[in-house]
Amino acid sequence: MENAAMQTAGASSSQAFEATITRIVERAPDTCSFFLHITGSPGSQGSQKFTFKPGQFLSFSLPAGEQTLTRAYTIASLPEDSEHLEICLNRVADGPGSSYLFSRKEADVLRFTGPWGTFVLDQPVKTEYVFIADRVGVIPFRPMIQRVLSSSEKSIARLLYAARQESDLLYRDEWQAWERQDPRFSFWPILEPHNSSRPSGPDGYGIEKLLLPHIEQHYVQNDTRRDRQFYICGIGRPILLLRDLLRGAGYERKAVKYEKW
Amino acid sequence: MARLRVLFENGDPEQTIECDLAKAPFHHDGEPGSILDILLGHGIVLEHACGGNCACTTCHVIVTEGMQHLSENEEEEDDMLDRAPGLRSTSRLGCQAVMADGDVTILIPRHTINQQV
Repeated sequence: MENAAMQTAGASSSQAFEATITRIVERAPDTCSFFLHITGSPGSQGSQKFTFKPGQFLSFSLPAGEQTLTRAYTIASLPEDSEHLEICLNRVADGPGSSYLFSRKEADVLRFTGPWGTFVLDQPVKTEYVFIADRVGVIPFRPMIQRVLSSSEKSIARLLYAARQESDLLYRDEWQAWERQDPRFSFWPILEPHNSSRPSGPDGYGIEKLLLPHIEQHYVQNDTRRDRQFYICGIGRPILLLRDLLRGAGYERKAVKYEKW
Repeated sequence: MARLRVLFENGDPEQTIECDLAKAPFHHDGEPGSILDILLGHGIVLEHACGGNCACTTCHVIVTEGMQHLSENEEEEDDMLDRAPGLRSTSRLGCQAVMADGDVTILIPRHTINQQV
């Protein structure tokens, strides 16, 4: 189907932007950060400034054969410098979106709309934030946690992060540095046992097998507090299992926020 | 055979799509056989900024007839719909509402928003 002949329904308040890839950095095996410099806003009158909130994503229209597909990539960088963005993504086997982006090189131009998404943490309050992620699900938490730690509120932030092995932990050095620098932040990496022989794949294993028992023990069985704020991000139905565990244990619905990809 | 009648709040002329759901998916994005999948596969671009992953509300539609021919809402969809502008009791996310054979009519709202206000 020719896109030109397609009818667009509804209207969006989000703006289209154009950006140049300034740098591509491998963060982990088959996982890269793309650093983008916004150069313009096609179709807009005057200079349109891009702004976003921690946790939001960009929406790219990417070619896939004769069709165009839409893929969303969360912003890994901080809102304070909204002209220079970082997105971080893993290569998905047979995934046309990530395959297209992984074939790009520095100085290439990308177009996107945004920012999108309501899984945000913009104005922290005085509470204990528990961020739970596996693999690339940790990306929205980088700007969110920085926002929490830079807030004047006496908030506490914990990051529970599951990965197959240490080299798969994205931004590991940053998490460890933040933990050393700020006693309000703690980083709990949870790795698979060394003798694990399961095949790799996007199955949510980390959330279900590693994080869920840990969270059940610490935040459900051995604790009666129910005033924390949970942010959960990852891939597949295990995210929903975790949501159900926490809400079923008495945490308020709105205190358990999640984004499932 | 499924028949999807599409009304547009912005005044565009209505359209009707007839399709064989056994041939789903019709496109890359959204649940196979979902309203979004059917629209995209038949030349109507419904906004879906997250790629049809139930991570935004841009594919919000209002079902005016035939709700019984759609899959039931799951909590994930309801959590997201809470943030949709102009929410109605028959609101659905196009990427999650999967059609069964029968007639369904939807209204596509005039606006989507990108951020909770």
